[in-house]
Amino acid sequence: MLFSGIPFLYYFLPVVLLLYFIAPKCLKNTVLLIASLFFYAWGEPKIVLIMIASILAGYVSGLLIEAFRRKRTAKIVMIISVVLQLGCLVYFKYMDFFIGNFNKVFGTEIPLLKIALPVGISFYTFQILSYTVDIYRGEKVQKNPINLATYIAMFPQLIAGPIVRYKDIASELPVQGGLWWGKTRKDDNPGKEKSSIGRRFTTEDVASGIRRFVFGLAKKVLLANQLGELCDIFRMSQEKSVLFYWMYAVAFALHIYFDFSGYSDMAIGLGRIFGFHFVENFNYPFISGSVTEFWRRWHISLGSWFRDYVYIPLGGNRVPKWRWFMNIFIVWMLTGFWHGAAWNFIIWGLFFAVLLVFEKLCFLKVLEKHKILGHFYVILAVLISFVIFNASDMGGAFSDIGGMFGFAKVPFVTTETLYYLRSYAVILTLALIGSAPFIKNTVVKLASKPGFGKYLVVAEPLILLVLMLIMTAYLVDGSFNPFLYFRF
Amino acid sequence: MEQRRNRITVITMAIFLLTVSLLCWFKGSDKYSEAERRYLKDLPELSWNTVMNGKFMSEFESYTQDQFPGRDALRGLKSGMALYVFAGMDNNDLYYRDGYIGKIEYPYKPEAIAHATKVFTSVADKYLKDTDCKVYYSIIPDKGYFLAEENGYLAMDYALLEEEFCAGMDGMTYIDLFDVMELDDFYQTDTHWRQEKLPEVAGVIANAMGKELNAEYECIALDEPFYGVYHGQLALPVAGETLYYLNNEELVGCYVYDYTNAQEIAIYDMDKANGADPYEIYLSGPLSLITIENPSADTDAELIVFRDSFGSSIVPLLVEEYEKITLVDIRYIYSGVLGNYIEFEDQDVLFLYSTLVLNNSETLK
Repeated sequence: MLFSGIPFLYYFLPVVLLLYFIAPKCLKNTVLLIASLFFYAWGEPKIVLIMIASILAGYVSGLLIEAFRRKRTAKIVMIISVVLQLGCLVYFKYMDFFIGNFNKVFGTEIPLLKIALPVGISFYTFQILSYTVDIYRGEKVQKNPINLATYIAMFPQLIAGPIVRYKDIASELPVQGGLWWGKTRKDDNPGKEKSSIGRRFTTEDVASGIRRFVFGLAKKVLLANQLGELCDIFRMSQEKSVLFYWMYAVAFALHIYFDFSGYSDMAIGLGRIFGFHFVENFNYPFISGSVTEFWRRWHISLGSWFRDYVYIPLGGNRVPKWRWFMNIFIVWMLTGFWHGAAWNFIIWGLFFAVLLVFEKLCFLKVLEKHKILGHFYVILAVLISFVIFNASDMGGAFSDIGGMFGFAKVPFVTTETLYYLRSYAVILTLALIGSAPFIKNTVVKLASKPGFGKYLVVAEPLILLVLMLIMTAYLVDGSFNPFLYFRF
Repeated sequence: MEQRRNRITVITMAIFLLTVSLLCWFKGSDKYSEAERRYLKDLPELSWNTVMNGKFMSEFESYTQDQFPGRDALRGLKSGMALYVFAGMDNNDLYYRDGYIGKIEYPYKPEAIAHATKVFTSVADKYLKDTDCKVYYSIIPDKGYFLAEENGYLAMDYALLEEEFCAGMDGMTYIDLFDVMELDDFYQTDTHWRQEKLPEVAGVIANAMGKELNAEYECIALDEPFYGVYHGQLALPVAGETLYYLNNEELVGCYVYDYTNAQEIAIYDMDKANGADPYEIYLSGPLSLITIENPSADTDAELIVFRDSFGSSIVPLLVEEYEKITLVDIRYIYSGVLGNYIEFEDQDVLFLYSTLVLNNSETLK
């Protein structure tokens, strides 16, 4: 089921919200879990069993690690659990890639398995891995299987993230209270640790969740989908031009940003409505002055996952220089591979590894001195990287990059290019403005002005309502439009 | 103040979500959309099989879109947003300019033209080769020819289409209509041309086939406004038009036979005037094989027209010069079986197709 679909917005979500908020405390997680399994089964009824099996394996591993804590057996259980989870991921996602490449190299004809990729498997596998490793590292085990299953299968972040780590959310899994019509409860103890408070519901959280969800949906429906249309038009065009190649590169980079960050916003917003506080996943990456900074702002939850569970265990930067750079290459190759079982994803990851190593060697200092150069370089690098990312294969990637730099034997501009430039000028401009924190900063500035709050009381619900109406109009008129990150 | 804002936001959105949700859950299904001229998706069958193979879920998505309360108004809102707020040149390939709704017909598809000429020449080779038939062909430019390029919209290369089509119709006589027609020959909200504007075009075709048209007609208007096919697709509040038809005693006296349904019909089927597409009053709309016999003709000449829907409104204007006209629509009947219905001897034969069909000729059989 898609967040940006009528079945989710007007059939599934209202029923789940109603049941969730009328359910007693002890049943809230059960409601959320059942809803999440239904949500997942809606798209893949049979494959939900794979997810349930993975969750069970994770649950049992956690209990065993806890039972054998500080013994060698705990490490063995952790390793077995990691191998099992990764094995499942490799089988479903990468097996055909390996078989295909093996056939190419050795001239064999081993048939491909052609297994359907379970939606969101990369995300929930990483969450289970984080749980198992966190328990091994000393985090308290989750003995309640419903709570653990709720954490892993929770529908807001189940299929496209953010990758919520167990230790970040463990304290919010128990429920402490019903909806409170205020900012904080009177009986809140300010000195108390958050972990001892548990999950509670305030209008502040619910309202901010609604805001976040609606703006995320707007990013997806009003910007990402339109930009995606432009990319499709480019792909089908018989009259490409150099300018069209660049328009495509810009449109795709913005498309994937608004698609994915829009989804993350919706996930974070829904999480907040249900009383959870998920990690942020994007922080205006296109304003970065270096690729290093870009990756601190883009898909933050994935970057920090690889940092904490791969890069640091490999030794991070506290090893000889050659090992450090090798660690970077390993992490970025895996990051690329995580996105898809194809060479262009691996090259995409390694492309960033090269830039990151180059920056660490010397370039970062230059970029710090020349900010404009830094921005120009990041934008260029990111545009090229996403052209590689979106190519069907490396041949296609080279062809598209060649087209951008005038090697495709196409004119600089055609009538068709100008038509679509004119047709999408407003969308592209809005997307460019929206990819920088200009609007956010302006709103924050205005909101802090005395007296402005009373206008917001009326304006905010009105804006949200109008946005919902417009987006509903787009959804009713449109067809199936899946999120890009579902395939990862 | 912030708490108040939060409460109002939560309450407003909860009411909105609950209201729309209730409307969605409990609104009955509509069968047909007049605006879009299509049947709407009904609630898919719910069974173990349809759930397990995902059919129920995928069809449910389309069902919820089709049956959404206020669908037409929302489609209009989307259209307005796309064209006027986001300043897109078109919405779902439709644009609104100078009072006309047009559709982007782009790009020119040489393979479609090649297919069309292949079908037509194979008809000619099979049925007309050793006959005394005189064969003509003509291209009806669509509205985009007059509207698109000069207003900055994408348009197919009509000159190339004409050149390549003519090159493929070897041995047949071409009747050029590109210079005879103009934008106001078309309905503002529909693909088709207006019959009341066609006597000049019909005259050009007749002259090219050695005939002269002199008939006079009474121009009759339908009572109800006509909303063309683009009207519902674009969903903007564009005013309806008046649909006219040209009639006279000679046309009233014609015997028209529909082979598809094996029944006699009229030149103008007034039952269609209040139907989903009033343009179908002309020869009852899309029918594969029709004959018009004119008992008051002063000639025994016959005409066979291979045509699309544009032919329905112009062919009645050629009736005065023929004793019998046969209309064939090879989108609905396989051209290979025409010998069972038509005896090709010494008739005039006209291939009359719009650029819309020629550039999307996969439907020609």
